[in-house]
Amino acid sequence: MAAITQTRVATKRSTSAHIQRTWPKVVLWIFLAVAAVIWLVPFFIIVLTSLRSMNDLISNGVFAWPTRWVPENFTRAWNLGNFSTFFRNSLILIFTKVPLGILIASLAAYPLAKMRFRGSNIVFIFFLIGLAVPIHVTLTPLLVMMKQLGIAGTLPALIPPYVVFGLPFQIFVMRGFLRTIPSELIEAARLDGANELSVFFRIMLPLAVPALITLFIIDSLGTWNELLIALVLISSEASLTVPVGLLRFQGQWSSRYTELMAGVVISIAPILFIYIFLQRYLVSGLTAGALKE
Amino acid sequence: MTHRARSRIIPWLFLLPSLLWYLIFLVYPMAYSFVISLTDWDGLSKGSNWVGLANYIAVIFNDEVSRLAIKNNLLWTVGTLLIPTLMGLFLAIALDQKLPARSLFRTVFYGPAVLPLVAVGLIWAWMYNPQFGFINEVLKAIGLGHLARGWLSVFETALPATFVTAIWTGIGFSMVVYLAALQGIPAEQYEAARMDGATGPRLFWHITLPWLREAHVIVLSLAVINSFKVFDLIYTMTYGGPGRSTQVMGTWMYFNAFQYYHAGYGSAIAWVIALITLVFAVPYVRHMSRD
Repeated sequence: MAAITQTRVATKRSTSAHIQRTWPKVVLWIFLAVAAVIWLVPFFIIVLTSLRSMNDLISNGVFAWPTRWVPENFTRAWNLGNFSTFFRNSLILIFTKVPLGILIASLAAYPLAKMRFRGSNIVFIFFLIGLAVPIHVTLTPLLVMMKQLGIAGTLPALIPPYVVFGLPFQIFVMRGFLRTIPSELIEAARLDGANELSVFFRIMLPLAVPALITLFIIDSLGTWNELLIALVLISSEASLTVPVGLLRFQGQWSSRYTELMAGVVISIAPILFIYIFLQRYLVSGLTAGALKE
Repeated sequence: MTHRARSRIIPWLFLLPSLLWYLIFLVYPMAYSFVISLTDWDGLSKGSNWVGLANYIAVIFNDEVSRLAIKNNLLWTVGTLLIPTLMGLFLAIALDQKLPARSLFRTVFYGPAVLPLVAVGLIWAWMYNPQFGFINEVLKAIGLGHLARGWLSVFETALPATFVTAIWTGIGFSMVVYLAALQGIPAEQYEAARMDGATGPRLFWHITLPWLREAHVIVLSLAVINSFKVFDLIYTMTYGGPGRSTQVMGTWMYFNAFQYYHAGYGSAIAWVIALITLVFAVPYVRHMSRD
């Protein structure tokens, strides 16, 4: 009898302990799910708006299900908003500026990671300070410089400042990554008579491919998203990048909410696509940049 | 060349391209804009007059819009220092546990952080739209229609409304940084403390929080630095309005330098922003350069 009571108490205790352990988790999970849905609402709303007609929006409101799907909003926005030009310009920047910036950042990161020389720490800190320099403080002189170079208002004017504002973060991440490559590999190559340049291109860069991919993705996002420099340095319609172009489009279509939201969806679709499929690289790189170890 | 001389010069050859680029397109423009900030240059004409520190005195003491902009930046700092950071920390702790669909949750909460801020601003301008906006529609649907308003065009709500947007895009970063920091805490720390009889809250105060110190430095100093750099969201959501009530230093600098042709004055505002962010960068840079 006593034995039975004892086991009963024991099972009771373990189930209640089990409930005690799982119950807060269930509450937490429900809370997170609700918060996630709230976080997604703006996405639902813009997609819903971009796929209905203006009449439907005016008479049925923003969260009614569309009476008819209107994908034509997208073709209208794409053609009349000139998005193909904006996309082309942003892609040109991504495929020129990003590799150039990463290359010179990697060149700088190699000695900072693997060579001992006087002043290395000072140079590294000198670059890091760039992380905190606000773009604003360079804008007026940059405009003057680009006018002197004869490229103010056009796409090439963006390359120098975009490269410079990417450098500090890229040097930091590459330095951190290159330090993890064993020095024995470099020593062995040097003994085989390789010069420093071929050590860099034949050994360091191939081993750094994961870091290079991460930096490429992060820097491409940054280039795709940048507004302020482009707003100041770009003037001709033919040279607008996606953010400035989207603003221009909004200026012209501010009361055609359906096409406007189609334009917004068009501008963020490539980013979301990259984010969802390449998230692993993106987030690991961002935290590698912020935290060490 | 001797071997030693060569090995002394090689690091600098590798550094040369980025150092040159950095000096020409960052350091030189900074110095140049400091010189401009001491003049009354309009940004277009050939001549300008030396005015000493007059522009800075105007920014800090005389120009009411500048003072309002500084105040708005301070409010922005308070708003983004506390709420997104605490929410990010909470989410990180929650999503560090084994939960169903936790990677989906992480994707959702970090998602807005990757979007261009122009798009974020337009999305939220639409959410706040006075006639058709989602926020007003919801308020009407739940019987709070009297609260519906043009959120971005009313003085009292315009700035707080932009904070909500900043929170939406901002929690992702602090969540991700805290998550990485949490994953760096050795499990033995918790086991040892449990052996000593510590439980839930005590574990949090005595192990989790101290181990997050590095993450706090990063999240907090970046929050301050970024709130003084704010430009995109204000520019796209309110354009500094209604009136000039939501001007921040970033937008006020832009309007002065590139729309009102007060390049000297605009450069002075830019330098005030730079001085503030550089001061707050000290702990950040110290952390990043530590080995």
